[in-house]
Amino acid sequence: MKFLKIVFFTFILISSSNANTIFYLIKIPNLEIYDDTAQNGLKYLKAIKPFQVGIRDNNVSCSNPKKELLEKKYIIIRKNLDRYSYDFLEKINFKYVVLCKNLSVGGIEAVGFSNPEMKTILINIGINTYDLGRISHHELFHIINENFKNIFNEIDWKDINEDSFLYSECSTCSENFGLDLIENQNGFLSEYSKSTPAEDMAEIFSFLMTRNSKIATIASSDKIIRKKINFIKDNIYKIDKNFKF
Amino acid sequence: MIKKIKQTKSEKILIIFISLLAIFSFIFFFSIKNKCLFVKNNDPSKIIFENRNNIAILNAECGNVIIELYPDISPNTVKRFKELIKEKKYDHVAFHRVIKNTLVQGGDLEFGRKNNLNYTYLGTGSSGLGLLNTEISRTFNFTKGTVGFARTNKKNTEDSQFFILLVDAPLFNEEFTPVGKVLYGLDVLKKIKYDEKSEYVLRPDFILKFKMLVD
Repeated sequence: MKFLKIVFFTFILISSSNANTIFYLIKIPNLEIYDDTAQNGLKYLKAIKPFQVGIRDNNVSCSNPKKELLEKKYIIIRKNLDRYSYDFLEKINFKYVVLCKNLSVGGIEAVGFSNPEMKTILINIGINTYDLGRISHHELFHIINENFKNIFNEIDWKDINEDSFLYSECSTCSENFGLDLIENQNGFLSEYSKSTPAEDMAEIFSFLMTRNSKIATIASSDKIIRKKINFIKDNIYKIDKNFKF
Repeated sequence: MIKKIKQTKSEKILIIFISLLAIFSFIFFFSIKNKCLFVKNNDPSKIIFENRNNIAILNAECGNVIIELYPDISPNTVKRFKELIKEKKYDHVAFHRVIKNTLVQGGDLEFGRKNNLNYTYLGTGSSGLGLLNTEISRTFNFTKGTVGFARTNKKNTEDSQFFILLVDAPLFNEEFTPVGKVLYGLDVLKKIKYDEKSEYVLRPDFILKFKMLVD
């Protein structure tokens, strides 16, 4: 009997992916609309079965969360993303938020993932260690960055750091993925900030959106952070002069 | 000498039952091979239309799909669609992208032609007429039967490919250009060949003929 149960559940897990109109749009199977009523036009989607997309190192996999978890975490994410206007989201070309758990990218557990080409971010709502609101802003920034690469110039950004500092070669190349706020780190707000210029920018942006006054305090005694904040703010205002941090 | 044994009543019933079973099996075998058997073919000449100028008839393997076009909603795209239909550009072009019971897509005029099917580039071809801007309607709902113009991931890249929805798709609202709606013949589209494992179809079905009701 136990064997039959294992066979049955294995069959469910490996049964064919559910392609639907959402798949047609963003190339992720097994999703359903969770909420499409947001005033700013964002569409929240939930995983209804585990899915895996992409191949080898670029594969992204995630599984379906329970209803209770979804309800609890959705409120946090929605509250944070509601701060962006319809017009701003149109400008940055962002539309879909996928809520799932056990997200992994290239086999490495991830808290979020952005796919600018598909106007989509995925958020691992199974994570309890980090602020999901900040993760949402972080992933949203990657969409901004990808669509406005010309203004978020990485060479200019790197110049803000001390000459001796070098970023890692990729966002997962470093051994330290810590997203907690660190102080007195001479230009960086988290360990993860030190991975790549894009992640560093996303960290500054997400802290600005969630812990503005704390960041202002850090900036008052950290010249590099101050410059980085100005860089992000100035460029965001180029996209939308009415943007509110 | 062989003694003749008379059949009992139950033996006779059994023989009749087996014979009937064989006949039904034979009929059923040939019926299921014909995928169009239970699909109603709509004859446009027997239907009264309000605006005959905006009726297009797509003829596929299982019959006619009758579509009403919406020039008031998407004038430029419908103009292009009509132009290509009238020039018979869609005839013998593949339904190359099909999601079972969800959506069918066709209209790659460059790489989707029956006599020049190119699997490597199928779905990326152009009409040679240039790209169109996406015509978004804030009030239009993409419901079952809606015909829309397909595009790449970016807006304003519509050309000649179109899709027809077999289900409601609220997320398509304000994303794609609507060009019309199927009035009759959705069942015909459900019989278009699909692949269970991929949205792109190997050895796809083709549009046999696509024409306007009034030329």
